[in-house]
Amino acid sequence: MSDLLIVLRSLRLRLFSTIVVIVLVAVSAGLLLAILSLREAGERAFTRGTGNAHLLVSKDGSPLVSVLNGIFYANPPKAPIDEAKLNELRDSFPWSMFVPTAIGDSYRSFPVVATNADFFAKFQPVAGEPWVFAEGKPFAANFEIVLGSAVARETGIRLGAKLVLTHGSGKSREGVDEHAHEHREYEFTVVGILEATGAPHDRACFTDLESSWLLHAHDRYEREGTTRHVTVKDLTAADRVVTGVLMRVPSRDNMSASPVLVAQYDRLRRDGSLTVALPANEVQRLFDIVASIDVLFIAIAGATVVSSAVAILLSMVNSMSERRRQVAILRVLGATRARIFWLVLTESTMIGLAGSASGVLVALMVLAFATQWMRVAHGLVIVPVLDARSAVFVAMATTVLAALAGLVPSILAYRTSVARNLRPLG
Amino acid sequence: MANASDNSSGTGSSTPLALNIRELTFRYGTGFELRLNALQLARGEEMLLMGKSGCGKSTLLQLIAGLIDPGAGSITVGGQDMHALRGAARDHFRGRSVGMVFQTFNLLQGFSARENVLVAMLMSDMPKQEWHARADALLRSLGIERLDARAEELSVGQQQRVAIARALACRPTLVLADEPTASLDPDNAVIAVRILRDACREQGAALLVVSHDPSLEAHFARRERLDALHASSAAMSGATS
Repeated sequence: MSDLLIVLRSLRLRLFSTIVVIVLVAVSAGLLLAILSLREAGERAFTRGTGNAHLLVSKDGSPLVSVLNGIFYANPPKAPIDEAKLNELRDSFPWSMFVPTAIGDSYRSFPVVATNADFFAKFQPVAGEPWVFAEGKPFAANFEIVLGSAVARETGIRLGAKLVLTHGSGKSREGVDEHAHEHREYEFTVVGILEATGAPHDRACFTDLESSWLLHAHDRYEREGTTRHVTVKDLTAADRVVTGVLMRVPSRDNMSASPVLVAQYDRLRRDGSLTVALPANEVQRLFDIVASIDVLFIAIAGATVVSSAVAILLSMVNSMSERRRQVAILRVLGATRARIFWLVLTESTMIGLAGSASGVLVALMVLAFATQWMRVAHGLVIVPVLDARSAVFVAMATTVLAALAGLVPSILAYRTSVARNLRPLG
Repeated sequence: MANASDNSSGTGSSTPLALNIRELTFRYGTGFELRLNALQLARGEEMLLMGKSGCGKSTLLQLIAGLIDPGAGSITVGGQDMHALRGAARDHFRGRSVGMVFQTFNLLQGFSARENVLVAMLMSDMPKQEWHARADALLRSLGIERLDARAEELSVGQQQRVAIARALACRPTLVLADEPTASLDPDNAVIAVRILRDACREQGAALLVVSHDPSLEAHFARRERLDALHASSAAMSGATS
């Protein structure tokens, strides 16, 4: 027998209301924790995902859209950069990295990035962390393809497997588009599987530019009524298009804000036909935009935590008539007023503790759902990791609020008249 | 802390009385005044205090237990002036010196028979290693075998016995029983009173039973009427409890 057992018995006596209140606390604490964790995970994913590119040039509508499409693979870019413009860009400055990309096809809804060998040699998916191959090697010939770690894991495809790509994202408004056009005339062979990077590239496939151009040239010839086996010689300037270019300026100290970079950024922006983005800055801008909404979400979740504390208060006050008799019995048995006060306060604190512990489970479920939804609906990859600092903060805040909510019933219990609440006595 | 004036049981012994009430006055908000010139109960003594409903029997027990304070006079339990103690000290003293049995038993719902007895021990300063053995022995001696059954699962008679075990759990000097048979049929009432008396006798506790049930008179050698103990019965113009 202990004070804790008295508290547990008291909670069991009001089992239904205890469970309902714990669920309320769990949901509110879970939502708050999920929002905080998603914010952390989102920021981490976006910050990691920009890689080591100083500049991203495309013809998207805005720099932010350019980064979302070109690096985070949210949607296939619509407007291509033609070969002439690409060559002009390449020759305009001695870039330390110049990696053109063409994004538009997909494999089982995973985006396919057509690029050149420098993509694996010079571009780093996370700054300071080069690509690592779990199996195989980079593509070296046409119709060879490399899979991101998540693609390999989710499809179960191994080295040597043959794939057929789909034109477009392979998705319709209703989900996976079963009528999407497949490039069945050309099979790709899996030659490499990448280690996980924690960036959106894990959910992408990579092949060479020429292969992508050949697929689309074949389609063009078909549309023109010419059925033929297309080779590199058949490619025209109209076929040799890309959707973006990842670039780096020479930089000894690896600083992204070097004067050279600023100068090149300003020079490129003067070309009205291009959209020039500084990926790291755009991600920061994105967070600045969502920061106010973020605060609003956190405030709403915080309010639900407070309202769950009010629910604890109401539940305990509503049970006071029943509780007064119990208090009176304990007082007759020798319990001091202070002990009664602490027993009731412990009861509310335990509800808070149970609620915040259950809230962690709720948060994990919300995180799993939210990250899946972000991936399916927006193609954005966020690794669902429960933020430990947020978990401790939310658990402590919830428990403290629950304890505060227990103050009023504790005071009422403290002031309970023993004589009045033991009736009928005779 | 013992009051020297209480060191008499009427037998010439120096053992303090289990209960000693002198010149007690308690005034209700309604104007009713409870007065008691003197009432003594020796250690291990039994007494039935009779009185019609509303004459202040329950109030008297609450005064003895230190749950309410008198206007004047003194109440000592085992030589200790109950009302000289304040706050937690009085609560602790009540927990270890006074056991109470109620008409509706007032068992803690959701607690087992054993736990109801253990709670009383938890609130006292009884050494923890004694708790379980004493609780089980007390309950078994009163015929309770389902020690882990919840209070609400027990029959009325069993609940009464658990309440008696709880009142005796901390080896109190004095057991106060407030209409202990009011919830029982006549046959069970007789059994309950016998069990209560036997248990108190076995544990060496004085027993003060208040009741308006005349059938209990046959079971007690010492019987008093509360109105006869009043210094001024004319003051009883209002009803209470």
